[in-house]
This record gives sequence, C-alpha cells and structure tokens, in this order.
Amino acid sequence: MPDDVLLDVKNLVKHFDVGGGLFGGPRGIVRAVDGVSFTLRRGETLGLVGESGCGKTTTGRCILQLERPTSGQILFEGRELTTLDDTALRAVRRKIQVIFQDPYSSLNPRMTVGQIIAEPLGVHGIVPDRGRRAARVRELLSHVGLLPQHGHRYPHEMSGGQRQRVGIARALAMEPSLIVCDEPVSALDVSIQAQIINLLEDLQAEFGLTYLFIAHDLSVVRHISDRVAVMYLGRIVELADRKSLYDDPLHPYTRALLSAVPIPDPELEAQRERIVLRGEVPSPLNPPSGCVFHPRCPIAIDRCPTVVPELREVKPGHWAACILA
Amino acid sequence: MLHSADVGTLLEVKSLRTEFVTRGGTVRAVDDVSWDVNEGETVALVGESGCGKSVSALSIMRLVAAPAGRIVGGQIVFRGKDLLKLSEEEMRRVRGRAIGMIFQEPMTSLNPVLTIGRQLTEGLEIHLGLSSTQARARATELLSMVGIPDSARRLRQYPHQFSGGMRQRMMIAMALACEPALILADEPTTALDVTIQAQILELMRDLSRRLGVAMLIITHNLGVVARYADRVNVMYAGKIIERGTARELYANPRHPYTLGLLRSVPRLDEARRARLDPITGQPPDLSRLPPGCAFAPRCAFRVERCTRETPPLRPIPGAGHVSACWEAEHLTVDPVHA
Repeated sequence: MPDDVLLDVKNLVKHFDVGGGLFGGPRGIVRAVDGVSFTLRRGETLGLVGESGCGKTTTGRCILQLERPTSGQILFEGRELTTLDDTALRAVRRKIQVIFQDPYSSLNPRMTVGQIIAEPLGVHGIVPDRGRRAARVRELLSHVGLLPQHGHRYPHEMSGGQRQRVGIARALAMEPSLIVCDEPVSALDVSIQAQIINLLEDLQAEFGLTYLFIAHDLSVVRHISDRVAVMYLGRIVELADRKSLYDDPLHPYTRALLSAVPIPDPELEAQRERIVLRGEVPSPLNPPSGCVFHPRCPIAIDRCPTVVPELREVKPGHWAACILA
Repeated sequence: MLHSADVGTLLEVKSLRTEFVTRGGTVRAVDDVSWDVNEGETVALVGESGCGKSVSALSIMRLVAAPAGRIVGGQIVFRGKDLLKLSEEEMRRVRGRAIGMIFQEPMTSLNPVLTIGRQLTEGLEIHLGLSSTQARARATELLSMVGIPDSARRLRQYPHQFSGGMRQRMMIAMALACEPALILADEPTTALDVTIQAQILELMRDLSRRLGVAMLIITHNLGVVARYADRVNVMYAGKIIERGTARELYANPRHPYTLGLLRSVPRLDEARRARLDPITGQPPDLSRLPPGCAFAPRCAFRVERCTRETPPLRPIPGAGHVSACWEAEHLTVDPVHA
C-alpha cells in the first residue's frame, strides 16, 4: 500500500516577482513556496494547514498546474507534470480536480446548475451523447445529495451549502483520482460544515478519491485527514500521521497553533494553558535567516537564527524541521 | 436573577424588532428580542449568518440602513435612557464615546487616506474636546496600550501599512479612545489567523477587565465565546432561542439548535469521531418562515406542537437558564427520532 503513490511533490519552489511597478516600489521576490516535498498515497487524505500567506494555496495551485512552479517536480501517477505539453496536460487535468472555498464565485451565475455540471462532460468528451449527459447530471446530483429539480436552478437560488454541493458534483463529473480541496468548508455556516465534510468522506469511500485538504481550521483537518503537513512561510515545518501530529506535536509552531484553537467548553478553557506567539508572520519578501520561525519561537536558542533546520524524520513517519525536536 | 434590572444593568434591549423590506417581502431580522449587558460584563450573541446578531448591534447604534431597514418596535435602554428616543445629534455623542465599536474587517472601517494618528485623534478632539497636542499624547498612549510598538512612527502611517492584526489592534484603540462603558465587537477576530486571533482576544479580555469596560461579542464561533463570555445568547432566525451563563449553556444545552451546533463541530479535546453529526437541512429563509418554531423543520426533537406554536423563551427546570423549546426538558444527546 505505501508504494501506491499517486502524487509525489519534490522540492517545489514558487517565487513571485513583485515591485518595480507604477509606483516604483522596491523589486523583490516573494518566496511563496520554498522547497516543499510530500507524497500522497492513493485513497488517503493529506491535510495541509497553516496561516494565510504560508503557501498552502500556492502549493495546491502548482499541483493543479494553475501556476508554473519556479523549480521542483510534481509527479502524478508517475508522470512529471511540469514538463508536459498542453495536450498531454489537458488529459491529466481531468484527473486532478479542485473544490474552492467560495462556491458562489466559482460557479457561472448565468448557467443553471445542470448546465454547469454538464459542460465539462461535453467539453472533455466524457459523455458525448446529450441525452445520456442529462442522465449523468441527475446521477451526479444525487451523489452529492441534491434532487434532480435542483439542476434547473441558478446558483443564486441556492444556499451556500447547496452551492458547495454543486461545486463537488462538477469536480466529480470528471471522474478524478485527486481532488484539491482548498478551504472547502470555511465559508459555510457551522451547521452546514459537518454536512459537507460527511459528504466528502462518503464520496472518498465510494469512489476511492484522494484528497489534498487545504485548510486553516485544525479541528476540521484532524477530523478528515490521514496525515497532516503544517506549513509556515513557504515551508513544511512538520509532517506526520494524524494521531502523532495532534497527540505529540514536535514543532513549536504546531504546538502554538494547536493551543490557539478555541475549545467550546468554558471549564476546560479556564484551565487551558495558551501559547500566545509573539509578533506576526514575517513577510515572505524578506524571510528571517536560519529557521524562519525563530523570531516568534518561544524556545529558540542561539543557533536558530543561523542554522536552517531540515525536515527530518524524528520518529518513524513523523517529520519536523526544528533542531530541538 | 440574571434578568432583573438590578443596579448593574448597563444596556437593556427590550422587545426589539428590526425589519427589512426586500423584494421577497418584509423580513423580520430581529423579532421581538430582549437581552441585557451588566456593567463590566462580557456578553455574547452567537448564531449563523442571517440570524440577526449583526443587525442587533447595528440597531443599538441606530445604524440600520434606511430606508430598507428600520427599527419598528422595542426599547434600547442604555444607562437609563432609551436610545431610540434620542435626537440624531444626541445619538452621535453616544456612538464612539459611550459605546465603542469593533468590526470584523478593519480595513473597510478605517479611512484609507487618513493617517492612523489622525483617525485616532479626531474622535478625541470631537468627543472629548482635547487640543491637538493633548489628543496626540493620548493617541500615543492608546497605541502602546493595545501593544503597537514604536507609536510615534506608527501614528504617521496609513492603514494599508498595517497588517491585519495591527489594524484590529488599531480598531480596539479607537474603540477605547473615549473611555466607553460598552464595546460592541462584531466578529472581531474572524478575519484573522488563528495565532493572531488568540493575541487579539487575550488583549480584549485584559483591557476590558483592567478598564472595566463591558463587551458585547458577536460571533458564529462557539469556541471563542467559551473562553471569553460571561453570558451567552444564542440566536436563530431573528430570535434568541437560548440564554445562560457560558458554563451552564455549554455544559447543559437545552435547545436542539445549540445542542446541534455543539455536536456538529469536531473538537480537539475529544477523541476523533468516525462521523460528524450535522444539523440537517438548510438555514431558514427569513422571508418565508414556517409557522411555529423556526427551527422545527431541521429539528430532530420536533413534536406536533412545534409546527403550530412558537415556543417562548422560558426558564427550564433544573437547568438554571432559559430556552425557547417546547421539548427543552426532554432533550437527550441522542435524539429519539434520529
């Protein structure tokens, strides 16, 4: 089973050039993703967590080939994506789908839900026959818990949760093997989030899907993921299976993140020790020397500003980028 | 005891009703709602989008957007005076002076073309009549109070030069500037990252304790409320459906909606569940509410009466707090109808 690697990301780097525009700001390079490596096994869910600007979404966009990586490799089913030509890429793209945070802005407001789901079936020639396409749309709607008559509605006539179901049906239409879920529940009301999470889990079991689940909510990530990678300033600082990461976090950043998550229990909260980090995430334009976390780290030592910690296997299957781990 | 108008009551909202006229008909965004805040206390209004929590706060400030929206009934008694009876001029003296505000998105509530210093000193000069030198000194003091270092330089900067967390600190400084008795904080940390959220919430709590300022926190996040609120009001479809001390309400929820919200979120302090227990169905359309209890269509404890009669907020025997549910005495963790 561990050999069944679906996606292999090796040393992914994505830098953006900024500045020097109309107002002549200083030129610079944003190191959005700075040497990220991980693998995804078929049928598993890897959670990718971190705060805004940590590079989790850019990592997802590179995998989706919506961004050209600056360097590094992305192997999907053994094929290197970064060097594929357009025709070959289009075939692969079918297999890698995405679910966005805001279903409203990712659905065409002038198309009915049925048309939105049917369109890629025609464009990619998955179901060329129109009559059968309608049947397939009904089938997809039922997979995501919607009724056939929902196909005649427009996105604005649906609630947030229903729209996210449409987004999921559209992704499923392509019969993908990998779905990049980019904050798929964070724009939804709390009472609806659980519905969508359960749906994603059901679909994974039914269709053998593999998920890259990008989110900032650590409780949701723990629920849905088999393994979890924590990102900070463009790097993975810790990577482990769910249980080890949450029960025994090795990186001080992971520990601080976990302690910052509020728990809906006043008794417990009153006793809980909270690690409040100093300062804010530095700019990826000018990341700190050595370990990028050292200016905020509560346990930093003399060597941290000079030594770049490598992501190393501290315990079997549990990786951390901290010299003290 | 919690609801008596004892000496400590700072703000008392009585039977407030705020409506919006929409193409789909009249929407009762806040529908006969009563609650209060005591001096120095932190009270939460919790609920999902469209439940009326933000409109409640806007109603207190009389900032509901007319002509579509208007307050059609009730009283908002602040320090013994009904704010709904004040002239616009008198109301302006309440806003930002006696009652401060903090919003979710600080960038949209700060003026992008004025320096941070000017935005802080403006209120001090208008409301407190300070000279520009005095206002400047007070602004410096306020910035350091909310943990913004290097205040002399910071006062010359513009909002876009501040990070999200710094802007929210700045909003807190502005809200505190005129030493208000009450701060309304509408989703104060929702737009912030988890670690910054923790910093801001700790700061708000410390300051409210140190300065004795009461706070109304409006949020959808039950976790945030657990740590910081003394009392909690849960709203659904324009009504308060449950209210109690935070400890009471979390330990012993007596409304199926509150119970459902608590049960549906995965929690870091519990063993991972194989499946989450969502609340079924969709949030209600306020222009087409069903008769009876608005939550009934989604409720696992529904009985026949629920679809006919709207349950009033009433004390629940043995619970020590109030709930608007006919079946409040009979709620179990696993609903019988599930």
